[in-house]
Formats: sequence, C-alpha cells, structure tokens
Amino acid sequence: CLKALNGQPPAAPAPRVVEREEEEDEEELTLKYGAKHVIMLFVPVTLCMVVVVATIKSVSFYTQNDGQRLIYTPFPEDTDTVGQRALNSILNATIMITVIIVMTLVLVMLYKYRCYKVQINTSNILLHHVYSLISCTLEEVFKTYNLAMDYVTLAIIIWNFGVVGMMCIHWKGPLRLQQAYLIMISALMALVFIKYLPEWTAWLILAVISVYDLLAVLCPKGPLRILVETAQERNEPIFPALIYSSTMVWLVNMADTDRPNRNSTEAASPQQEPQEVASPVPSSPSQDDGGFNQSWVSQQEHRLGPLQSTEETRREIQQMPSARPPVEEDDEERGVKLGLGDFIFYSMLVGKASATASGDWNTTLACFVAILIGLCLTLLLLAIFKKALPALPISIFFGLVFYFATDNLVRPFMDKLALHQFYI
Amino acid sequence: MNLERLPNEEKLSLCRKYYLVTLAFCQIFLFISPGGFAFLPFLWLVNVVWFFREAFLKPAYTEQLQIKAYVKRSALGLLLWVAVLTTWITIYQHFRAEWGEVGDYLSFTIPLGIP
Repeated sequence: CLKALNGQPPAAPAPRVVEREEEEDEEELTLKYGAKHVIMLFVPVTLCMVVVVATIKSVSFYTQNDGQRLIYTPFPEDTDTVGQRALNSILNATIMITVIIVMTLVLVMLYKYRCYKVQINTSNILLHHVYSLISCTLEEVFKTYNLAMDYVTLAIIIWNFGVVGMMCIHWKGPLRLQQAYLIMISALMALVFIKYLPEWTAWLILAVISVYDLLAVLCPKGPLRILVETAQERNEPIFPALIYSSTMVWLVNMADTDRPNRNSTEAASPQQEPQEVASPVPSSPSQDDGGFNQSWVSQQEHRLGPLQSTEETRREIQQMPSARPPVEEDDEERGVKLGLGDFIFYSMLVGKASATASGDWNTTLACFVAILIGLCLTLLLLAIFKKALPALPISIFFGLVFYFATDNLVRPFMDKLALHQFYI
Repeated sequence: MNLERLPNEEKLSLCRKYYLVTLAFCQIFLFISPGGFAFLPFLWLVNVVWFFREAFLKPAYTEQLQIKAYVKRSALGLLLWVAVLTTWITIYQHFRAEWGEVGDYLSFTIPLGIP
C-alpha cells in the first residue's frame, strides 16, 4: 500500500517512466527490506518471550514470593493500605529510574570521553555476575526436574558458556551464536526482574521507563541521543555487547571498503556492561552488491547495569538510511538493531503477564500480540522518520493497555460466556 | 560474522585462533589437570560446526588444507572431551547414592525421593 503512493499514470513519456520505475523499484526494495527487517526482529523477540514464559510456567521459583527484593526497591508492597502500597511502589519506581538515569549518564560520559579502559574492566567484573545468575537459574531448573548435578560438570558447563559467550560477543563469532547468547541473557535478566520486582513497582517501572526512553532519545539533550550521535560521528559501533543485530551484512556499499560492519549483538545482560567500543571489530570486507546503495540502519541501545550496582536499560532504535552516491565508501551497518533493554522489558512485560494474571494464557497472548504490533509500528515510524527512535514506548503502552484491559474486562466476559455456554 | 565475507586468510586465522584459544586456556589449568587438556569443548564444537562447510564442502583453495587440519583437530579434541564427560556423568549418576557423603559433597542439586 505504501507503494501506491508512487503511482504513475501509464501514459507518461518513456524516459520518465523508466526513471520513475527505477525509483519505484528502489522504493519497493526499501519496503521489502523493511518488511524483512521487521520479521527478523520478530523472531528473536518472540524467542526471548517464549523462553521467559516457558521458564516462568515450569520453574516455580520465579513466581514464589520469598520477600526478597533488590536493594533498589527497598519499600515492601505487602502493606496494609492501598494508599501505602501505592506510595511505596511510586517510591520504588522513582529509585530505580533515578539509578537508571544516573547509570546512563555515566555510561554516556564514559563513552564520550573515551574512557574505554574503565568500561572494559567494568564489563569483565559484571560478567562474573552473569555466571552467578546462570548458576542460580540452572539450579532452579534442576530442582524443578529433580535431577542431580555435580559441581564438576556444572563448572565445566558454566565455564564453557561464559568463555564462548565472551568470545562471540566481544570478539568474533558466528552470528547465530551471538544472537542466541543475547537472547538467553535478555531472558535471564527479564526473569530476574520478574522475580525481584514487586507487582505495582514493576508496572510502574515499565510505564516510566517508556516515558524516559522517549525523552532520552528524542530530546536534543537526551543521553541516548548524544550517545548515538557520537557513535555516528566516530563511525563506531555502539557498545558491542548491548545491541542485538539481526544481520551482519546486508547490502554493502561500495567495492573496496573494508570497514567493519558489525554492530552486532550486545549483551544487554544487566550484569554485563560490555562497552568495548574501543575495538571496532574489523574484518568484513564489503561486497559489491550491484549498485543498490541504500541501506537501512537501525540501532537501538540498551544498557543494563549489574544487579549489584545499577540497572539501566535504554533502548533506542535508530535508523540511518543512507542514499549515498556509489562513489563514497561507507561503512553502513545493515540490518536492524534492537537494544537489549528492549528485549528485556518486552519479555518482562509478557512474563509478568503470564505469572500474575488471572486470565492466564489469554492475557499472555494479548500482551504478546500487543508488543509485536507495537514493534511493527515502531519500525514503520523508523522508516518514515529515519532517525533514532525509542522502541519501548509504543510497545509497552500497547502491552500495558492490553494487559489491564484483558485482565479486567475480557476475562470476566469470557468466563461469563463460558458459564452460560454461549459461544461467540 | 558472516564467513562468506571474509577472505580466506582471515578464515584460516579465525579457525586457528578458535582452536588455539582453547589450548591456551589449558595452559592456565595445567597445574590443575595433569592431562593439561583444554577445558573448552564447547568452543571446539563451535569451531567444528562453523568451519565445517568451509573445510569440507567447498571447492578447494589454498588455505583450505590448513583449515581442514584445524577442524579435524578440534573435532578430535571435542570427541575426547565428550567421551570423558559422558563417562564421568554416567559414573556420577549411577554411584551418587552409594557414595554417601562424598556424593553429597559433589552435588550441586540433590534430587528428592528415593534413588
């Protein structure tokens, strides 16, 4: 349907028709790529959500309320009055958001002033937190299925997982493996959030984070925007471990560029803050793709701090199309990039919906669909506006609306219908 | 990382690095394990799977011979590790209950119920 905008009357003079056709072709190609990008993002987001929901449903650990909380949410929610609870949750959310904002600013400052060493050291430390998280999860999974596991095998498993992960994400590795790692880590983080954030706080945080995302990305002084622009100026990939990239190389620009094109996957695991921008990964020479020189670049950023220090997530979709003349050498990152924070919050929303909703699968599915629709719309907007866009607001907004609506309106409706054996 | 985009030398060097990294890690653990073998079978698995097509299914090019060598060595190491791990896991699962205290000490999670 967007194609139709370029309708040409059939009686146009020949050369113009040819030109127009070429333009139309380019537009078609653009749109085709756009659709493909959307699909390519759907798959990992869906996978992540599926993993989270499956884990929540099967491993009861994540829905137990042990009364444990993160240090960032010190106010309990099982208070006597509703007012008290609301107040506590608002305070919790405020604390979390402040922490996140501070961390974001710190990261942006570090990136801007090129303090790569600090970033690398931090990310190494944070990796150890990932290990502990994984072992906790594994422990719970094994307990659920009543399996015995010895320390030796466990150590080997975790060691392998960690080392290969580090190599894939920070250095070079097969694309699929990177994507798999990022999805796993995002799922883990989402599970942690689901377990340790009390109810109202979680929903409030989702809402506030969306607003913050909107502001941080679109305002001229927003930290995320600064980050993206700095990265563009320097032509470096952003925080190689914080962004999920759907593909390595799509179309590459001209003949002889040897620019590294990997903006790939970032581990958004909160425990990691790999910010090894210091080493823009070299090595993939571009191929000549026959003259099609428009590219889509969408970038999203997401950063998560470690649990113990701070947690931040930000997302942003940025798209830099470049319809440049063939002469230029360009290092375009092709493919769509989505920040890991987005993954985490999407999965967190769906996971929370499946964990706590009374409507169970209805609500979960509704939220899932809502998020995907939001993602589609966001990508559409990306195509139209061609600049960095926050990926959270639309999806989370839809997700929240659907969740509360389904839980409170649709489910009783369906129950009544079933009760009266009235099928629509 | 898309392998097709890399020139051959880089593919070779990548394959070699994947193989060597695992051996390098083994140096660290040399004082732990007298065998001195690397503790990274997963990495070798990745190496094998990733470079398999390059090494065996593509028409020959100059570096392919070396890549083949590395893939074969990785596969060998992988098989060895799989054998070792399988043996250990079988022994552990079978005899865990009988070992009593030692078995519990080794266990990360202990299943409930009667073995």
